Amino acid sequence: MHRAALEEQFDRLLAANGAALARLAAGYTNTPSDRDDLLQEIAIAVWQALPRFRGECSERTFLFRIAHNRAIAHLARSRAQPVAAGEMEAPDPSPDPETGLAQEQRAESLQRAIHRLPLVYRQVIILSLEGLGYREIAEVLGVSENNVGARLTRARQMLRTSLENRK
Amino acid sequence: MSPDNELDLWRRQWQSENAIPFNLRRRVERQSRLMRIALLADILVTIVIGGGSIAWALRSPQPDIAALAAATWLFLAAAWFFRFRISRGNWSPAAVDTASFIDLSIRRCRASLAAVRFGAVLYAVQLAFCLGWIYHHAPQPKRPLLAWLFFGSLSIDIVWVATLAFFAGLIWHRRRKRAELAYLLELRNYDSSPICESR
Repeated sequence: MHRAALEEQFDRLLAANGAALARLAAGYTNTPSDRDDLLQEIAIAVWQALPRFRGECSERTFLFRIAHNRAIAHLARSRAQPVAAGEMEAPDPSPDPETGLAQEQRAESLQRAIHRLPLVYRQVIILSLEGLGYREIAEVLGVSENNVGARLTRARQMLRTSLENRK
Repeated sequence: MSPDNELDLWRRQWQSENAIPFNLRRRVERQSRLMRIALLADILVTIVIGGGSIAWALRSPQPDIAALAAATWLFLAAAWFFRFRISRGNWSPAAVDTASFIDLSIRRCRASLAAVRFGAVLYAVQLAFCLGWIYHHAPQPKRPLLAWLFFGSLSIDIVWVATLAFFAGLIWHRRRKRAELAYLLELRNYDSSPICESR
């Protein structure tokens, strides 16, 4: 494919899925700088893989598969480097006009609860919350659809319990 | 709640939370903190300058000092009126989503640019009033106005240097805000890609 066409496809993919990728990256990282690093890695990996993309799956599946693989690699690396307490992305304790909104607090609670899930469940719930169906999740993770269903059911139970315990 | 409704609710919460680009969110939160600090600073200035002028007027037998206190409060009232007008609706976003955060940042930028213009005019008027008042009360025999204004005394020279520094600061701030506004307007017209928000 011509470089200009590749660049156009790359820009379009990231523009259409940028927010979803940012959420996915946030689901696998603890600090803002870590998240930005992971996003950068995902963007580079997408750019490198794009010439080999032949349309065997949807663009979204292609993108999430790369993002997921990069996130796992990033997670494996960062486990060897413990995060300093001051770097953790925590809500601002000061009463702020923006962060004080109840809707945002609920969303933050959900994000924290997802962070606490074991990796296998975190993967499926993040992809499901991004709107991927069983088949797409199975393609991204390289497992069967039945396996996705079982993991998702368990992930939802754990998430529900975690959210209720934090109330 | 049925499992489907529960998942839909989580999906909405999940997609609303992180859809706000990190940099934009931090920018808005930082601006909110600065706005609160600026409000406290303005209250402090009002208490010190306004209270000081009243205290001076009460202790002084000269009626001119009362006029000076009244003028001081007039300037303070003008500044507060303007402050309330431009900060109305700029304390928090209308909703927790990217578009609202960008709109809030744009409104704050425009308010800041309006404040630069207002600050320049208010400063010039205050300077003219204060210099006029000081010249009017200068000991006799008075020097010619222009000779007194320029290189007449060290204190007046300091006023001019401070004025130059003030306007240089305003110009620098205005340029910064205009660049920020251009970026935010561009961002508003662009889909929320994290790659384009690293500025």
